[in-house]
Amino acid sequence: MTYSKDFLVKVYRDLAELRMFEEKLVEAYAQGKVPGHIHSGMGEEAVYAGTLATTKDGDYYKITHRPVGAAVTLGVSYETAFSEAMGKSTGNSGGRGGINHISELSKGMLGFSGSLGCDAAVGPGAALKIKKDKTDNIVYVYYGDGTSSRGPIHEAMNLAAVWKLPVLFICQNNQFGISTHISRGSSVENPGADRAAGYGMPSKIVDGTDALAVYEATKELVDDIRKGNGPAILEAKAYRWRGHFEGDQTPYRDAKITEEWMKKDCVKIMEKYLLDKKVVTEDEIKAINDELNDEMNKAIEFADNSPAITADEIYDNIYA
Amino acid sequence: MLKTYAQAIGDAMKEEMRNDDNVIVFGEDVAEFGNIFGITRGILEEFGPDRIKNTPISETAIVGSAIGAATVGLRPCIELMYADFALVAFSEIYHSIGKWRFLHGPEYKLPLVIRMAMGSSFGAGAEHSNCVESLFMHAPGLTIVSPSSAYDAKGLLKSAIRSDNPVLFFEHKQLYQTKEEIPEEEYTIPLGVADIKREGTDVTIIAVSLMVKKALEAAEILAEKGISVEVIDPRTLAPFDKDTVFESIRKTHRVVVVEESHKTGGIGAELAAMIQEEMYDELDGPVVRVASLDVPLPYNIEMELHSIPNAEKIVTAVESLF
Repeated sequence: MTYSKDFLVKVYRDLAELRMFEEKLVEAYAQGKVPGHIHSGMGEEAVYAGTLATTKDGDYYKITHRPVGAAVTLGVSYETAFSEAMGKSTGNSGGRGGINHISELSKGMLGFSGSLGCDAAVGPGAALKIKKDKTDNIVYVYYGDGTSSRGPIHEAMNLAAVWKLPVLFICQNNQFGISTHISRGSSVENPGADRAAGYGMPSKIVDGTDALAVYEATKELVDDIRKGNGPAILEAKAYRWRGHFEGDQTPYRDAKITEEWMKKDCVKIMEKYLLDKKVVTEDEIKAINDELNDEMNKAIEFADNSPAITADEIYDNIYA
Repeated sequence: MLKTYAQAIGDAMKEEMRNDDNVIVFGEDVAEFGNIFGITRGILEEFGPDRIKNTPISETAIVGSAIGAATVGLRPCIELMYADFALVAFSEIYHSIGKWRFLHGPEYKLPLVIRMAMGSSFGAGAEHSNCVESLFMHAPGLTIVSPSSAYDAKGLLKSAIRSDNPVLFFEHKQLYQTKEEIPEEEYTIPLGVADIKREGTDVTIIAVSLMVKKALEAAEILAEKGISVEVIDPRTLAPFDKDTVFESIRKTHRVVVVEESHKTGGIGAELAAMIQEEMYDELDGPVVRVASLDVPLPYNIEMELHSIPNAEKIVTAVESLF
């Protein structure tokens, strides 16, 4: 497949942005600026950068807790995203929802659950509106290999398939549900793709560290879904670089395997591709990263200096 | 025109579907079959398969998809068949529906209704007879409606469908065939407003759903014994209309709460606690609860009837306050 420079730079920028967002989040968490728990998505950025290169205006998205930076890929501002992560009034819910709910409806984001899988059918539900409006939009529903064992995933897929809804389910297979390797949570090797046959859905398996491979596999499925042929499953295989949460030292896995996977760095792979093909220069790469760094630092400062909501504001937004 | 509670609910849905083409209905056996109690009969014929759909037996997906549909502007009025089955989707209702807007921000609203048939119905057994409103009263963010009459059911369901907040709508199976005069002209009943079903001066009975009928029977018996009973139907359990109830207590100074769910941790537990906290000085005695026994509802009909409240038990409870 041939790509325009604009397209390639956009994919690279999305990758670099997501990586940097996740790095900044880890840093902010270490500094005690982020309450609760964060779930770093480092190593899995290509799953989002690749799939989201196939979107069009009017599509809907149901992301997950990992990486939450996907919200900025979808257009949520750094200020809003960091503010929400840091529990500040300037976040999308004013810090009421927090890191697992960085979301803006105006960006097509349907919202997502901290209780994983309970939000799976939100995608098929939004797809009913697409069907009513008779557009060729679709819904992107992300879930992890761990969540794939939860019942609501099955119910959502079955419903989407029975009603032939325009939904792409994306299984981010990072191989671990907290400490449990997927081989101990799934009787099939590919917990996303292998189960597609059970719903009569097409599926694809792709290397989730190669953003362009993810894009190409996604595009094939998405083109078909946009034609009205019903849902599909994409399984992108990657690896969760860090622990399930910060502080998880991952004693349950072989550090050598982790090191091997970390060599398959999706950001570096794309960077090398762009440089080898002379699409961009090292200076351009640096300029992109410098700009992201500046903007994110400013946003973190903004969030840090933003007030928290007050006690009498906690009741806001319960009822419309 | 005289209509049944079942017809009133069906009429409310049809009227709202005519008013707004974003209103859609889906759930278990709602389309061709018209739901197992016949409530949704005629909707498929009038509105077609895009507006009413049978779902697979998948409560988490029914509720989950209603969240997605409502988030993007549809107004799903969905059906889970038995209220007992709401527990299959407990997480989706408790965590997701009630909290979605709070968690994601004011851009989000969930105009959805979940209809469910609840209550004992002569031998349906321990898993098809439960009144589960109190389980959901614990969850912030939900609107919980439990109508006791055909007139109320219609007006409240229309308001529920028009509400921008998620509403759990509990219909009592024993009420489906009860009839009431329903006006030809359109009307709604606001959510969150209780109704005084019988005025009285000596004791306030707060009764829910079918228990309103039982409380009214008890009030007749008590009237003959010289006790004047005020029967209040909250109609909406959340948000709860404290004003109407407190005004009544200021007059009667005695309270009995009647519900069909289990006594422990039930509606009466919450109301008794709230009333003693906020109205202690007005009370001439303890808030008395009449509820189902803390047993799984027995299949044997005699034992089922033994386990749930009736007029006689309510009379005894009221008399204990004098």
